[in-house]
Amino acid sequence: MKILRLLPLLLAAAASTTFAGEHVYAPYTELYVRECASCHLAYPPELMTAPGWKRVMSQLDRHFGSDASLDTPTRDGVAAFLAQRASSREKHAPSENSARISKTVWFVREHGTAPPPKISFANCSACHTRAEQADFNERSLRLPAGFRHSERD
Amino acid sequence: MKLPILSALTLVLTGFASHAAATTAREYQATLVAEARAGDAAFQGFSAARGDTFFHQRHNGDWSCATCHTDNPAASGLHAVTHKTIRPLAPAANAERFTSPEKIEKWFKRNCNDVLKRACTAREKGDLIDFLLTVKP
Repeated sequence: MKILRLLPLLLAAAASTTFAGEHVYAPYTELYVRECASCHLAYPPELMTAPGWKRVMSQLDRHFGSDASLDTPTRDGVAAFLAQRASSREKHAPSENSARISKTVWFVREHGTAPPPKISFANCSACHTRAEQADFNERSLRLPAGFRHSERD
Repeated sequence: MKLPILSALTLVLTGFASHAAATTAREYQATLVAEARAGDAAFQGFSAARGDTFFHQRHNGDWSCATCHTDNPAASGLHAVTHKTIRPLAPAANAERFTSPEKIEKWFKRNCNDVLKRACTAREKGDLIDFLLTVKP
């Protein structure tokens, strides 16, 4: 009986995270990688909501301390891709003006608010060794020596 | 027997690629001359020495070009915020650099804003290209 009541919930969770159970995301477009992965890893669009991405894409000239401006057609192409793959879950909603993925409820729950020493939260590959392949499965996770869950604040 | 031929071919192709980069860099630089002259009546041509100073100097903020690209433009750099590896900037060390005018302008716009808090002048851009073309790996 209980399981039956839970079933719709379980199904909904499975559907909205096609690959997320494995933490492996679908391939990105060539445009997205070309334009967004010069300065940082191509982050999975699924990690933020559409309003969050919209905010990021509306202030590219002030992009987390760097000018990342694009010409309008390129900007629009990237924005469309992000909107199409964005999360619809509240835990991926931006929590501040700049819309940092690392400030979403989901990210903080998974990673805390302080990265390991000398590692930037922007640099997923430092621990997620297959992040370049959009693969964030825990099997390929390598935490720096000495960094423990308890160090998350 | 196959290997030497392949290496020779690679060498020739690499040669072509860096030649292409140098050509595009020179062509782009040529488009800056009129504007550089308009900005300074005494303009005598671009200078690699000035470009060298410009590259290593902080201008109006916390960063210089060298902050991310390192003191040696033929070496790999590291993005100051994200720590992502940046491939070498000097065409002699990275054949993909200065191969497209659109890309050159895209990055001058962004990086000049980051380092100088303004657009670079035509002379600054021309000097920098002059300097980068003198850098050998």
